[in-house]
Order: sequence, then structure tokens, then C-alpha cells
Amino acid sequence: MRRLRPSGAGPLAWCGILLATTLALYLFQQVLWLVLPFLFGLIAYYFLAYPMQRLMFAGLSQESAANITVGVFALLLVGAFAFMLPRFAAQAVGVQETGMRYLQGGLLLLDQTLRALEQQSRFMRDAHVADAVSSYIAVAGEGFAQNRLPSLMMSVAAWLPSMLLAPFLAYFFLRDGRRFQRFLARAVPNAYFERTLHLLYEVDRTTRAYFQGLVKLTVLDAVCLAAGLWVIGLSSPLTLGIITAVLAWIPFVGSVIGCALVVMVAATDFPGSPSIAYASIGLFILVRLLDDFIFMPLTIGRSLRMHPLITVLMIFVGGAVAGVAGLLLVLPVLGVIMVVGETLSIVASDPRLRARHAHARRLRWQAVTRDL
Amino acid sequence: MRLFGRHDAHEAPHPLRQIKLFSTLSRREMPVVQALRHERNYLAGEVVFDEGDDGEAIYAIVSGEVEILRHDGGRQQRLAVLAAGEVFGELALLDQAPRAAQARATADCMLVVFFRADFMNLLETHPKIASKIALSLARHLGSRLRQANAGQRQDGHL
Repeated sequence: MRRLRPSGAGPLAWCGILLATTLALYLFQQVLWLVLPFLFGLIAYYFLAYPMQRLMFAGLSQESAANITVGVFALLLVGAFAFMLPRFAAQAVGVQETGMRYLQGGLLLLDQTLRALEQQSRFMRDAHVADAVSSYIAVAGEGFAQNRLPSLMMSVAAWLPSMLLAPFLAYFFLRDGRRFQRFLARAVPNAYFERTLHLLYEVDRTTRAYFQGLVKLTVLDAVCLAAGLWVIGLSSPLTLGIITAVLAWIPFVGSVIGCALVVMVAATDFPGSPSIAYASIGLFILVRLLDDFIFMPLTIGRSLRMHPLITVLMIFVGGAVAGVAGLLLVLPVLGVIMVVGETLSIVASDPRLRARHAHARRLRWQAVTRDL
Repeated sequence: MRLFGRHDAHEAPHPLRQIKLFSTLSRREMPVVQALRHERNYLAGEVVFDEGDDGEAIYAIVSGEVEILRHDGGRQQRLAVLAAGEVFGELALLDQAPRAAQARATADCMLVVFFRADFMNLLETHPKIASKIALSLARHLGSRLRQANAGQRQDGHL
């Protein structure tokens, strides 16, 4: 029997994958209120999958294991919320004041740095760089506070209730994930069945590896940053470490915002010694380098086997199409669509599978028309 | 694609006890394996898998018959005819080598399918069940090997 082997996804299939990713990001931006809880639900699902598997290892059924895992997780969440709420409420009144204090500290450091540079550079002195930057930041900050901030706060407030969906979604992913896979597999013709099963498992493997890698990367980043900030002597190093590590989920932009946050805190805590702020920047760059060259390849890098050029290109495309949400979602969405696209392309271009499907359809047609 | 209206969608899961590979599982262990199965219906003459395909799953016959064929040059050689209760494609559980032969339904049949990744996961979550299945599989492969040796002796090859 002569068997023509499929040659894998070609350039046309890859164009389709990139186009589908862009389209998906655009659509996701329109239903962000649903996509974000879904994303957090997925992260919780992959985070809780291991303890649930341990319970199943102990002999519990999938349903009982899911009930116990999500039940304990919900109790822990409620406990943490109850513990944090009084502290947060006590500080909530001063949040705006604290924020303004840190912002002023950061701006003061920027002004001092630019004026010190002006002392060294005649060109900068002649261009009045420090004055120009200060006035630009003052105008931009005022415009942001008056025009953008209220709408931003309103959108965040509108999303918050939908975030309650995340634990529910995680519960149903844990309890019915396998049933859903079987439901999808039932719809597939016999000829494509094994390949489709393989596809479903590859999608699951890719997303699992990505989100588990993301959680590990966040923990590593947070621990390194917190330890470094504690050595430097900044206040609340653990909180700052966690916030900056979570912000790093957004490629490029998140890291810049995280660094700015750390520098603002350093400049405010130690107003007279800019060397602390510079040390914080140095620490941040060191952790970023560790992240890019050691942590990332060990965690997320192994999950998404993508060419670096495509990754960077798609991050820019994601940002352009769907803003911050696009930056956040582009890698997992591309990873899943890549697996689906490559497999579909291989299956669709396999002449033997198509011939087997046509043969099966002929047999079914003969079977139902035999006595007509 | 059949998204709606499967005639067997609401039927109770078919008992696996009659399949040799699972005959040693206890009443409590059986539902764990039931949850992993996929059920497929094939018509007489339909190809289940081809020689050279990537093996991803093991098949067990619930009803009907399946023949195992190998293409030797231009000649098609029938290696075995399997009936209800028997399994085939079992090497897919052990390695990722391509299928060594073609499987084709000789009568309308219902098969249950277990995916390799599910079986590997079972080794992690339920090692006792997985080891029982693995032992049955080893016995099954041993008997196949003995049959093959006996056949070769009869043909004067050994």
C-alpha cells in the first residue's frame, strides 16, 4: 500500500495561524469581561489540578476530588479575604494620599537625576531637558487623572463582579474537563478520531505547561525581587515583589510599570539617597536578566515551542490589536491556535485520512439505502 | 462532524468486564477505567487504523469482528481475526512506534478506545489499576508471542 505522508504545516497554514490569533485577540478584547475570568479560572484549574490528582491517587473519584479541592481552595480564599479586609479597609482612606506621595517621590528622583545630568551635559542644559520633562509629566498626569483615570476605574469596577466566575469555571474545568473532551471527540468522524484525540491532548498539554510555568515563574520572580529589595532595605519587599512579578505577566509594559513602581517606592523611602533607587533599578534589571535567560527557559519557554521572532512579532501585534489585554493573552492564545492549526493542517492535507473518511461515508450510505 | 443527535449519547456505558484486559479489575476500580473510555462504531469494511499510522490508542472489541492485515509488497496478508472481548493496537500503549499492521472491521462493530496519554495518567493517579492492566497486557503479549512462535514452527521457520 502506497502511503503519502503529510509534510506538516506549510506557510499558508502558518499565515492562517497568525491571522486566527490576531482575530481571536480582537474578539477577546470585545468580551474581556468573560475572557479574564476564563483566564484566571484556567490558571486556578491548572494550579489545583495537582492536589486534585493527589486525592484521586488516594482513591477518590474525580467528582469527589474536585469538590474537596475547590472547597478547600474557596475556604482558603475566604479566610485570606477575611484576614486582609480589615487591614485593607484601614488603609483604604490613605491609598490616594500614599499613591500621590510615592508619585511625588518618583518625580522628585527623576527631576534630581535630570538636573544632575544637565550639570554634566551642556546639550541637555541648553535644551532645558529637566524643565521640559517636568512640565510634560505634569500636563500628562493631569490629563490622565481627569480624562482616563475615572473611565479606567469604572471598567475595573465593572469587571470585578465577573471575576467571581473564575472559581466556578475552575470547579467545572476540574470536574467535567474529561467529559468535555469525550463530548468533543464523539463529534469527530472515525478516520480523524485518533489524530483529533491527540490534538485535544496537545492543546491541554500546551496550556497546562504554559500556565503552570507562569505560576512557577511568578513565584521565582517574586522571591528574587523580594529578597533583593529586603537586602536593599525597602519597605514591604514581599508585597512589592509579588506586585511586580504579577505585572510581568504583561510583556514589556508590565516590566516597565513594575520597575517604575519599585523606583518610586525607593525614592520616597530614601529621598536623600538616590543610590538606593539606582540599586533598585540594578536589582530589577538583574532579575529581568535572570528571568529571560534562566527562569523563562526553565518554565514557560519549554511549554511553547515557538520561534523567538514569531513570539516578539505577535506580542507587538497583540498590543496593537487589543492593547494591554492583547499583550497579556497573545502567548497562550498563539500557543493553543498553533497546536490546533498545525494538527488541522496535517490532518486536512493527509490524502489517506480523507480517502478513509470518504470510504466510511460510502459504507454508511450503502448501509442506510440497502433496502430502498 | 456530528455535533448533535448521537443515537448512543444517552445509553449507559457498556460494561468492560467482558474485555480480557480489564477482567481482573474490581467493582470499585471499573468506574475509573470506564471514565477514560471512548466508544466508536464501525461498519463492516471500515478501516480502524492503517499500517504506518502514529499509534495513539488501544482498541477493545465490545461487539463485532476486526481483522488485522499486513501489506507485504503488493500482497495483503491476514494476520488475525479478533472477536468481542479481544484487544488490538496494544503496542501503542508501550511505545510511540507506527502501527505495524492495518485493522479493518469485518462486521459492524462497537469498539472502546483508550488513549495512551490517559493510560500514562492512570499510572500516576491510580497505579494499582494501571499495574493490573499492565499485567494483563503483558500476559496478552506473551500469549501472542507464543502463538507467533508456534506458527513459525509449524511453517518450519524455527
